[in-house]
Amino acid sequence: MEPRNSNQSEARLDELFRAYREACPDPDPGVNFMPAVWAKIEAREVSATWFSRVARALVTVALAACVILGLMASSRTASYRNVQFGQSNVYFNDTFVDAVQAEHTARLEPLHTERISYLEPQ
Amino acid sequence: MLVEFELIQKAQQGDAGAFNQIVTAYRRRILGTISRLIGRPEDVEDVSQEVFIRLYFSLGQLRTPEVFEPWLYRLTVNASYDYLRKGRRRMESRMADLSEQQVMMADAVAGARAQSDEGEKRRVKDTVHELLAAVSEEDRILLTLKEVEGLSLKELEKIYHVNENALKVRLFRARQRVLKKMQDVTGPSSPSAKHDEVG
Repeated sequence: MEPRNSNQSEARLDELFRAYREACPDPDPGVNFMPAVWAKIEAREVSATWFSRVARALVTVALAACVILGLMASSRTASYRNVQFGQSNVYFNDTFVDAVQAEHTARLEPLHTERISYLEPQ
Repeated sequence: MLVEFELIQKAQQGDAGAFNQIVTAYRRRILGTISRLIGRPEDVEDVSQEVFIRLYFSLGQLRTPEVFEPWLYRLTVNASYDYLRKGRRRMESRMADLSEQQVMMADAVAGARAQSDEGEKRRVKDTVHELLAAVSEEDRILLTLKEVEGLSLKELEKIYHVNENALKVRLFRARQRVLKKMQDVTGPSSPSAKHDEVG
């Protein structure tokens, strides 16, 4: 673009923008402008409140479910321990080897005593 | 400033009457700016209302009432940009319609309507919209704020939170694109040459 043409184009564009500004004056707002603004604000407040209520309810339900599931899990573990190992918690306090040994002893001891008692009359 | 700082502070504290006064003071200006930014008269009220709704919900975040006007312009720019981005396809189809309209106008040589003042305004609007379609939505808004709304670089700096030099570069590039488009559309004569040729 040559400098002269460039300047002319710049001037034409400025002129066009000025004409555009004049062709688009600030319009007058409609009579329902303010009522519509307030109606939309209220609608958003209602939807925001509803959403926050739903979110709060979901959080409460989730927390309650966590507590209930936690209680259920802990009670089941306790009863499982009682059934399997009496009041002893040897499997949880001792090492794996101790636990295996304890189980092995528990299995063998009755046989051993029976064997002794069976052999005694002979 | 069209309103007192105290009024803004009252509105921040939840005074509905104060908020009403702020809207009443600024609505005409905002309507005008938006009408020139988006170029669709039927949607101007909706977008303006969106600006004031955003104002209502974010007024509490405004720390200093002194920056209220740049801040309101920023909301206006964001709402207009959202509108233009959402309606990109619609705008494109509109531009296609516009070309058709111009062809029809060319056919109606020396039509009485085209000679009227309203016809001239319509042509200026159409031409500017067509030229601004050559740049992105962001640049279109920036260019309109600078060239049509007459905002200074300092004011734009406050609105965009970008330094003056970056704004100058962006404006220069946008303007160059528009100038190129103008040469394609109107040719190397005066802005009204196209219409003179038509007439």
